[in-house]
Amino acid sequence: MDLLLWYENGLVGTFIRESIWGYPIVLSSHAVGMATVLGIALMLCMRVLGFARGITVTAFDKLFTVGWIGFAINLISGIILFAGSASLYFFQWTFQLKIGAILVGGILLKVVMNAVRANKSESTQKLLAAACMLCWLVGVITGRLMAYITA
Amino acid sequence: MNLESLALWLGQGFLHDQMVDKFWMFPMMETFHFIGLSFMFGALLVIDGRVLGIGKFISMKEAMKFIPVAIVAFAVNLISGFAFLTSDPGTYLYNIGFQWKIGLIVIAGFNALWFWFGEHKQLTQLADGQEAPFTAKIIALGSIVLWVLVIILGRMIPYTDF
Repeated sequence: MDLLLWYENGLVGTFIRESIWGYPIVLSSHAVGMATVLGIALMLCMRVLGFARGITVTAFDKLFTVGWIGFAINLISGIILFAGSASLYFFQWTFQLKIGAILVGGILLKVVMNAVRANKSESTQKLLAAACMLCWLVGVITGRLMAYITA
Repeated sequence: MNLESLALWLGQGFLHDQMVDKFWMFPMMETFHFIGLSFMFGALLVIDGRVLGIGKFISMKEAMKFIPVAIVAFAVNLISGFAFLTSDPGTYLYNIGFQWKIGLIVIAGFNALWFWFGEHKQLTQLADGQEAPFTAKIIALGSIVLWVLVIILGRMIPYTDF
């Protein structure tokens, strides 16, 4: 808790609360990063689930770089936004679930790619892709609900 | 019809009442809007990324299958976006962020039509790994830039209400 308050009351927290355009700009970057990382993750999952079969999954590799850029944008903007009310966000179940879902979703993305490369059975690949997609969607839903469910 | 009477007209009716009366309608529509934008932007990244040469070995013909994905996702966002608009049209219509956002969506729409009627047929003949023509790349870059701006402006709407 001390750490949360220290961060919240520090330079980043003060900036995000007090500058007029700081918050909207960081918030907008968070939306753009989200669209990028989620977009790539969702499209890859759709492909593994059987959509656009003519695209080899490995051809998606280069797009992952784009996804990582989106992820980096959101990690940085997310850390800054977190400073706005760290001591509140940290205890919100929507926030906790969001972070958990993103972590699991990120790991699953790697697992999905590995399963494809290792030629695991199609049902295994699809199951993993569906779970991965679900995690990322939960990440967005809980992220959005953080603004409404503050418990 | 001027803005004022448009606002009056939009601000009545079933959808407006639901958006205002049910506390969960707005958050639910927002969630759809964010999921929709992620699917749409993802689909565009596959298509435009291929055209721009980022994912050169993605089959161009197959990448085009993501066009309907983008269209369906856009429809989800058009409907959820329209729901926001009816909830408080007098505020949205006069909001400069909203006005620019709609303007850019219209431009992005023309850009998409240019892609479809000008480049689509030729692009489907591309072999895997083959570079797309320059015009197609310009359109693809335009599409990414325009939609990024649309996302930014959309997120800015609560802060551009002067």
